[in-house]
Amino acid sequence: MLEIENLSVAYGGLTAVSDVSVTVGKGEFVAIVGPNGAGKTTLFKAISGVVPPRQGRILFEGKDLLAVPAFQRAHMGIAHVPEGRQVFPNMSVADNLSMGAYTEEGQRRHAEILDMILSLFPILAERGKQLAGTLSGGEQQMLAIGRGLASAPRLLMLDEPSMGLAPAVADIIFERIIDIRVKAGLSILLVEQRVAEALESCDRGYVLETGKVVLQGPHQTLLEDKRIRQAYLGM
Amino acid sequence: MFGRYSFLRETLPIIGFAAAYLLFSYWFDSSYYKLILTLVPIWATMGLAWNLLSGYSGLVSFGHASFFGLGAYTTTLLLVKFGLTPWIGIPVSMVVGGLSGALIGWPTFRLRGHYFALAMLAYPLALLYVFEWLGYQEVAIPYKRENGLAYMQFADQFGYVVTATLMMVAAMMLSRWIELSRFGLALLAIKQNEAAADAVGIDILRAKLKAIILSGAVAGAIGGLYAIVLLVVTPPSVFGMLTSAQALIVTLFGGVGTFWGPVIGSVILIPLSEVLHAELGHMLPGIQGVVFGFAIIGVIIAAPEGLFWGIRDRFMPVYSGRGREAGSSKVLEEASLHRTKPTADAPVILRVSNVSKNYGGLKAVQNVNFDVPKGAIFGIIGPNGAGKTTLFNLLNGFTPLSTGQILLDGQDITGLRPNEVCRLGVGRTFQIVRPFMRMSVLDNVIVGAISANENDDMARQQAMEAIEIVGLADSADRLANSLTNKELRLMELARALAGKPKLMLLDETLAGLGSGEVEDLLHVIRFIAARGVTIVIIEHTMQAMVRLADTFLVLDHGAVIGLGEPADVTKDPKVIEAYLGKKWANRA
Amino acid sequence: MGELAIITENILQALAAGLLIGCIYGLMCAGLGVIFGVMRVINFAQGDFMMLGMYSAYYLATSLGLLAVLGPFFGPVAAAIITGPILFIIGIFVHRYLVTRVTGVQVAGLEGEGHFAQLILTLGVALVISNGALIFFGSEPLSIRTPLSRTAWEVGPLFGDAVSIFINKARFVGAAVSVLVAFGLYVFVTKFRFGKALRAAADNPQSATYVGVDVDHAHRIAFGLGVAITGIAGGLVASYYPFQPYVGIEFVIVMYAGVVLGGMGSIIGAFWGGLIIGLVQQMSTLILPTQLQNTAIFIVFLLVIFLKPQGLFGRNAERT
Repeated sequence: MLEIENLSVAYGGLTAVSDVSVTVGKGEFVAIVGPNGAGKTTLFKAISGVVPPRQGRILFEGKDLLAVPAFQRAHMGIAHVPEGRQVFPNMSVADNLSMGAYTEEGQRRHAEILDMILSLFPILAERGKQLAGTLSGGEQQMLAIGRGLASAPRLLMLDEPSMGLAPAVADIIFERIIDIRVKAGLSILLVEQRVAEALESCDRGYVLETGKVVLQGPHQTLLEDKRIRQAYLGM
Repeated sequence: MFGRYSFLRETLPIIGFAAAYLLFSYWFDSSYYKLILTLVPIWATMGLAWNLLSGYSGLVSFGHASFFGLGAYTTTLLLVKFGLTPWIGIPVSMVVGGLSGALIGWPTFRLRGHYFALAMLAYPLALLYVFEWLGYQEVAIPYKRENGLAYMQFADQFGYVVTATLMMVAAMMLSRWIELSRFGLALLAIKQNEAAADAVGIDILRAKLKAIILSGAVAGAIGGLYAIVLLVVTPPSVFGMLTSAQALIVTLFGGVGTFWGPVIGSVILIPLSEVLHAELGHMLPGIQGVVFGFAIIGVIIAAPEGLFWGIRDRFMPVYSGRGREAGSSKVLEEASLHRTKPTADAPVILRVSNVSKNYGGLKAVQNVNFDVPKGAIFGIIGPNGAGKTTLFNLLNGFTPLSTGQILLDGQDITGLRPNEVCRLGVGRTFQIVRPFMRMSVLDNVIVGAISANENDDMARQQAMEAIEIVGLADSADRLANSLTNKELRLMELARALAGKPKLMLLDETLAGLGSGEVEDLLHVIRFIAARGVTIVIIEHTMQAMVRLADTFLVLDHGAVIGLGEPADVTKDPKVIEAYLGKKWANRA
Repeated sequence: MGELAIITENILQALAAGLLIGCIYGLMCAGLGVIFGVMRVINFAQGDFMMLGMYSAYYLATSLGLLAVLGPFFGPVAAAIITGPILFIIGIFVHRYLVTRVTGVQVAGLEGEGHFAQLILTLGVALVISNGALIFFGSEPLSIRTPLSRTAWEVGPLFGDAVSIFINKARFVGAAVSVLVAFGLYVFVTKFRFGKALRAAADNPQSATYVGVDVDHAHRIAFGLGVAITGIAGGLVASYYPFQPYVGIEFVIVMYAGVVLGGMGSIIGAFWGGLIIGLVQQMSTLILPTQLQNTAIFIVFLLVIFLKPQGLFGRNAERT
C-alpha cells in the first residue's frame, strides 16, 4: 500500500533521513522506532508532503505521492496524527472531529465513523462543546486520533502518540490503537520512542538511527534483538 | 562592519558626496528647483532617523511622524510665540524629539511584533487630532525683513540647501559611527535574534531606548528645519501618515540598515515625485502617491532590503578569504585527551536546588536537584518532551522559576535576566543558529565579547582567541553565509566562548551532524573543558554523550530519574524504562 | 426642560448613535478580522479597500440607477451588497498577484518571517489605491443622498414629555444590514464546511493541511472575503457619510482598534470590538470636544494593547 524507496530528506540544512526504504502492506501494522533525532518525524513530514525529499520515491497505492500537493494526501486516504497532538485549540471538540471529516469519504461515512470514535474514546462525547485547547494532554491525543480516523483513511499514521503523556495515560492510548487496528481494519504506520509497546503491537518494525534503517523485521525477531538497546542507550 | 571610525575612510566620502551635491545644486537658479534640492536632504535625514531605530534594530515604526511633527511645532511655536531664533529652536526640537522618543519607547517596547507597529502608528495620528483641537491648524512663520540670517531666513534659497545638506551630513556621520560601534553591533544582534542577544549579555531595553532617543532627536531636528523651509505648519503635513510613510519608503527603497540607503532613496524618489507632481499634478493629482506605492511594491518583491543591498549582493563575492573547510587539528585531539576529570572534592560551580516550573497544571520541571563540579562535563539527557530545554531556560534566566534556587559559584542567580546571568560568567548556545550572514566569522563572534569588554580591541582579541580554540582560525575572515553546518556550530560555540564564561550551557550542539563531524565537535568540547570551562550539555545522541560526559542527569516528565556515571545510569532500570518502555526494562 | 432631562437626552442620543454607528464599524472590523484571523497579515490597505467599496456603492446607486429602480430604502442597500462580490474579486486578484509574493514558504528566510514585508506591501497597495482613486474619481466629496439620510424617526417622547431621541433613517438601515451581514458571516464560519476550514486554517495551518484543507487557497478566499465585507460596510457608510479618496486613513485606526479590542484572531470578537469602538466614539462627545472623538479611540486602543493585548475574546497575544 505504501512504498517508500530510498528516501533522503534534508531538513533545516541537516540530512535527517538517508536512503530509507519502508513498506506498509494493506491491513498491516508497521512500527518505526528509534532514538531522538533519528529522523522519524521528518520521515512522516515527507510522507505528508510538508517537507520535500531530496531523493527517492513514495508510492501510495501505486500513485507517486511526490506529485501530489500536501493537502491532497488526506483526500487520497492518508491520515496524519501529528507529533504533539496539534489539535485546533480554539475550535470545539465536535468541530475538530468534523474538520477531520473534511474529505469526501469522511463526509459520507461521518455518522458511522463518529460512532466508532466515540465508542473508542467516550470522553470526547462528554466534552463535545469544550474548546480543544482546554483538554488535558491525554484527551487531546484521543481527539487527534479521532480526528485522523474521521477522514475515513486507508492508512493511519501516528507520530509519537505517547510523547509528553504520563505512562498510565500512554498505556490507554496504546490499548486504543490496538482496538482501532481490530475494529477499523486499516493499515497503521506508527512512530514511537517507547520501543517495547510499539514492537509488541505491530506486525513488522524498522529501527531508525541517525536517519538510516539499522534493523528491520517481524516484531518477534526485533523484540529479541540486543542491538535495539545499543541503539537507544549507546552501550 | 565592526571597526574603527577613521576620519579618512569614513568621513571623507560623506563630505565628498555633500560637496558634490552642493556644487550640483548651485547651478540651479529657480527657487522651485532649489526647494526640491532642499527637500532631498531633508527627507534623506528623516529616512536616516527612521533607519536608526527600525533599520538597525528591526523594530518597524510607522510613527516617526510623532517626532518630526513635535520638532516642527517646537521650532515654529518658539519662533512665533517667543521670538526665539531657529538656530536655537532646532536644537531644542532635537531635545524634544529625543525626549519624546524615550517617553514613547519606554512603554511601547514592552510590546511585541504587530502590537508594536500598531501602537507606533497610533501616536502621530493621536497627536494630529490634539494639535488641531489646540487650534494650531495653520501656523505661519513670520517674515523677518531685517536680520533675516539671525532667524534662519536666507535671502538666497541656496542657504536652505546648504543647511539641510549639513544636517544630512551630520546624520550620515552619526549613522556610520553607530554602524561601526559596539552599539550598532548590539542592535544588529537584537535584530537577528533577541533571545540570543540577551544570552550574550546585551541589555536589550537599554539598547532599544538609546536607539529611539537618537532616532527621535534626529527626526525632531529635521522636522524643525522642515517647518522653517516650508514657512507654514499644519497638523496633517507633519503628523500625517504620509510623513511616516515617506521616511520608511525612501529608506526601504534605497537600502535598510545602511547609511547610504535613505540617501539613495531620497535622491531618486523625491525629485521624481516632485517633478511628477509639477508636470502631471493638475491632470493626475496624487500621481506621486501612486508612484511611491508602486516603488514600494516593486522593491519589497524584488529586493526586499532595498536597492543598496540588492545591488551589492549581486556584485559582491559570496565569501572572502580562503575557502578551506575547518578541519580537526591533531593538536586539538591530543590536547583534549589531556583533560582530567574533576576529583570528588572539587568545588561546586553550579548548584540547582529544588527547582520547579509549572505552567498552570502542567509540571514542566519538578523538584530538580543537582550539583555540577568545576571543570566537569555534565550531560542532561532524557526522552523528547522531558523538560531539558525548559531546564536550560530556567538556568539562563529566560523563564522564571516557580520554586527553587540556583547558585553559581555560591552566588544566587535565581530570577536574574539572561544578560545579567551572562555577565556573571554563563555562556549559552542555541539550537537554531542564526548568524549575521553578510558578516565575517570574526564579526559574528565579537558580539559575544562586547559585553565582557569595555575596550574594543580587547573584545576583538578575545573573539580571536575563542575562534582559535574551536579551530576556525583559518576561517575568521570568511563570511558566515559560506559556512558548513559543522562550522556554524563551531562559530556558535566560539560566540559563547568569547565572553570568557566559567560555565557553558550547550543546547544540542551535535544534533544532526554526521559521525565524523560529531567527532570533531567532541574534541573541541573536551578541549574547552580542558581549559577550565565547566560544560553542561543537552544532547539526544547517546552514543556521543556516553563518551563525552563525566556525569549524566536523566530527566523524564520533568523529574530526575537518574544521576551518575554513564555506565551506571544506562543500566538503571528506571532509565531503560523511560527510553524503551516498561516491558523492556523487565527484560534487561 | 430640566437639566436632568437634557443630560439624559444627550446620553441616550449618544448611546443610540453609538449603537448604530457601532454596528457598521463592527461589520468593518469583522472584515479585517477575517484577514487578520486567518492570515495574520496586517493589511494597511483595508481602509482603502473600504473606500473603493464606497465609490462602488455610489456609482451602482446613482449612475447604474439602483437608486432609481429600487427606491431610497433598498437602493443603497442593494448597492452596498452588490459591492461585496466586486470587492471580493479585487481582493482575490490582489492576493494572488501581490500578497502571495510575500507570504508562504519562500519568505521564511526573510527577516521577521515576512511580516515586515507584508506590512510594507500593503502600505504600497494603500498608496496606489488611495492616490489612484484621487486620479480616477477626483477629490470632490460624495455621498449617496437619499431622503433617508436627512430624516429621522423620533423615539419618544419618553419620560413624560421631556426626552426624545432621533434615529437617522439611513444610519438605521445601514446598521440593520450590517447586523444581518455579520450574522451571515457568523453562520458561514460556524456551520458551513468551508467556513470551518477557514477557522481551522487560522487555528493551526499545519494540522489543517493534514486534514485536507488547501491552506493557500483558504488564505486567498479569506483575503477576498475580508475585503468584500469591509467593502459592504463602506457601501453602507456611504449613505450617510461624505467620502473622498483619502477617507480610508480615518477608518484604519477604527478598524484596528476594533480588531485588537475584540481579540486578534476572533472574527466575531472583531464585530463586538467594532461595536464598542463606535459607542466609545459617540459617547466620548459627551465629555470631549467633537474634534477629539477619535483621540478617545486611540486612548482605548492603546489601553487595550498595553493592558489586555489578547482583547476580549482573543487567544494568546502574539502567535508566532
